[in-house]
Amino acid sequence: MNETTTDAKTSAGTGVTAGVKDLRAIARALLEAGDVRVIIGWEAGRRGARPVFVTSPAEADKLIFDARCVHNLVTYLNPRRDHVAELGKIGLIVKGCDVKAVAGLLREAQLSREDVVLIGVRCGGVLEENEMPVAAALTRSNVAPRCYVCDNREPALVDHLVGEPQPEPPRPAQTMDERIAALDDKPLEERWAFWTEQFSKCVRCYACRQVCPLCVCERCVADKTRPQWIEPSPHARGNLSWNITRALHLAGRCVGCGECERFCPVGIPLSLMNRKLQQIVAERYGYTVGDDPEQAAPIGDYRLDDEQDFIK
Amino acid sequence: MSAERFFISESDLRALAADLLGAGTVVIAPVVVAACASPAAMASSACLRPGTEPEGLEYRALTDAAQLDLGRGLPILSLKGYFLPEHEALCRWKQKGTTIEVEAVPTEFAPRVVLAAKPCDSAALAVVDKVMNWDYEDELWNGRRAATTIINLACPVIDESCFCTAVGAAPDATKGADGLLTPVKHGYVFEVTTEKGRALAEAHKARLSPAADALAADTDVERAAARARVAANLEIDAQSVRDWIDTHFEDPLLASLAIRCNGCGACSSVCPTCHCFDIVDEEEGVGRGTRRRCWDTCQAPTFTLHASGHNPRGDQHARYRQRINHKFAIYPLKFGEVLCTGCGRCTRVCHAGQDLSEILQAIDIAAWRPGAAEAAAPAPEPVTS
Repeated sequence: MNETTTDAKTSAGTGVTAGVKDLRAIARALLEAGDVRVIIGWEAGRRGARPVFVTSPAEADKLIFDARCVHNLVTYLNPRRDHVAELGKIGLIVKGCDVKAVAGLLREAQLSREDVVLIGVRCGGVLEENEMPVAAALTRSNVAPRCYVCDNREPALVDHLVGEPQPEPPRPAQTMDERIAALDDKPLEERWAFWTEQFSKCVRCYACRQVCPLCVCERCVADKTRPQWIEPSPHARGNLSWNITRALHLAGRCVGCGECERFCPVGIPLSLMNRKLQQIVAERYGYTVGDDPEQAAPIGDYRLDDEQDFIK
Repeated sequence: MSAERFFISESDLRALAADLLGAGTVVIAPVVVAACASPAAMASSACLRPGTEPEGLEYRALTDAAQLDLGRGLPILSLKGYFLPEHEALCRWKQKGTTIEVEAVPTEFAPRVVLAAKPCDSAALAVVDKVMNWDYEDELWNGRRAATTIINLACPVIDESCFCTAVGAAPDATKGADGLLTPVKHGYVFEVTTEKGRALAEAHKARLSPAADALAADTDVERAAARARVAANLEIDAQSVRDWIDTHFEDPLLASLAIRCNGCGACSSVCPTCHCFDIVDEEEGVGRGTRRRCWDTCQAPTFTLHASGHNPRGDQHARYRQRINHKFAIYPLKFGEVLCTGCGRCTRVCHAGQDLSEILQAIDIAAWRPGAAEAAAPAPEPVTS
């Protein structure tokens, strides 16, 4: 069956897949050996899967992995999250897509590889909406569109990799690129009207920034007041200024995890903007974000033959 | 005609809204909006999430009485923005040489009506009234409150994150409102509770008929059942919670609630009672500009960042403790009311899984550990009215 993602091997009576058993065993062993002080993974919360911080081996059985485990936990590696950093060395559970964000932090010298133990999970795609008591089987209509043609199914950067190989995630009813093509087909005025409408909803809570695994600036330009680069009021001017600045600062850095869009309380389709910028960066610089920290990203890499014809 | 309770059919209720609109009154109500409201052509291609309802619910000014939604749960944002807008001008200034002209903003507002408000949202306005009239009378808040008649709708949808009854509110309450609509067969029982509500009923009496006693009794049964459904989600002793928080600032439970919290502040944006704002001067050309206030949140590091660079709430644990402390201890101790009406929006909006019901339950249990009850004497004042 193409539309299931759960492991076929299920240990008798518990409903826990072999991959999850391995995950728990590795987490328990790392904590027992003192190799890490905390394992950050996912647990089954009252409203669905959510991040969990496991600090004792006895609690390793809280860990789960299924299609509800959408949350990109790399955001907790932000070195400026003092309350997480103070827990000590982190063991982080990551999907293939999440690993790209770890590579981003390494590339930008925000993290040393030895600071973290990475436990990779083989993933067959995640749900777009994950708040449900049991993971639904993935279908065209519920799969996160970014999972389509996943290019990091066997992440290389991890220390451990668990789970059976998974089937390809289903093709979504509309792929990210099809959504963007549909928008690109519209005349400029309609695109402007579309984004004006979307940004008008922004309440400037900065959830998009807070959850982004790569928004790690010591002080965000939006918080600077001398001078006030970006007006803090959520009016048309301030909202345009903030949303464009956020997107551009992530051009060539964004890994497309979609957490900004998922956390946005007013539903601005930020992934469309992020994906469009990925396309432009790929076209201009031949760069596609991956999980190799040695691969230089355009924002930190100047070449004499860089294309410049867009500078007018 | 019975003095306080009327019957109104759904068509008459919409006609009442249409009458108000016809008279030029602004009518605010829950409205189903497309996820990408405009341009319409976008809705089918770029913006919709396949397989999910392509719509959300928002409080909007009606342009047509047919838009009034009477069947869904909570709008994304509460009613707060209609009284404390996300941003608003406090004054404008112009500098001419060495003199500065300050232009005040109007503090009187045209009458308007909110129909089918959620009881947790109207209750929040009454709670926030206290701080808005504490050491300074907020003319903009009070002006909008005075100009607005609010008619609640007893909640048609209750989900697992609702906990209004645990904090002294209810799914059929009229706190902060001027009347209540309760669904019955073929229409609504319309109960008025204030002079403003009576004036609205009087002005539209052609649409109303006396509610039969049997009908009124039916609504009482329905309303009690709704309250019981919410109570099944969470029961706490708000006074014990208040006193425990007030005396356990450094307790590991209170001091380490926020490990998974991203500090995004979305909870504050959607909260009907969070009312903190920042004041900023925005220049709009040489020598002129606008002083505005806009929503702010204690979940942001800059909220308490001192000019020296020191931040007394240096990490997210400290900031989240402040959120709990302000809502469930500081505000009740100062104003006698919990700064929360149990709408559950903060839980629903949090994809990191911060769950206020779970947290309040944990604090409630901590507060009732053996010995805790005796230590809490003397008996505290009631928290909610």
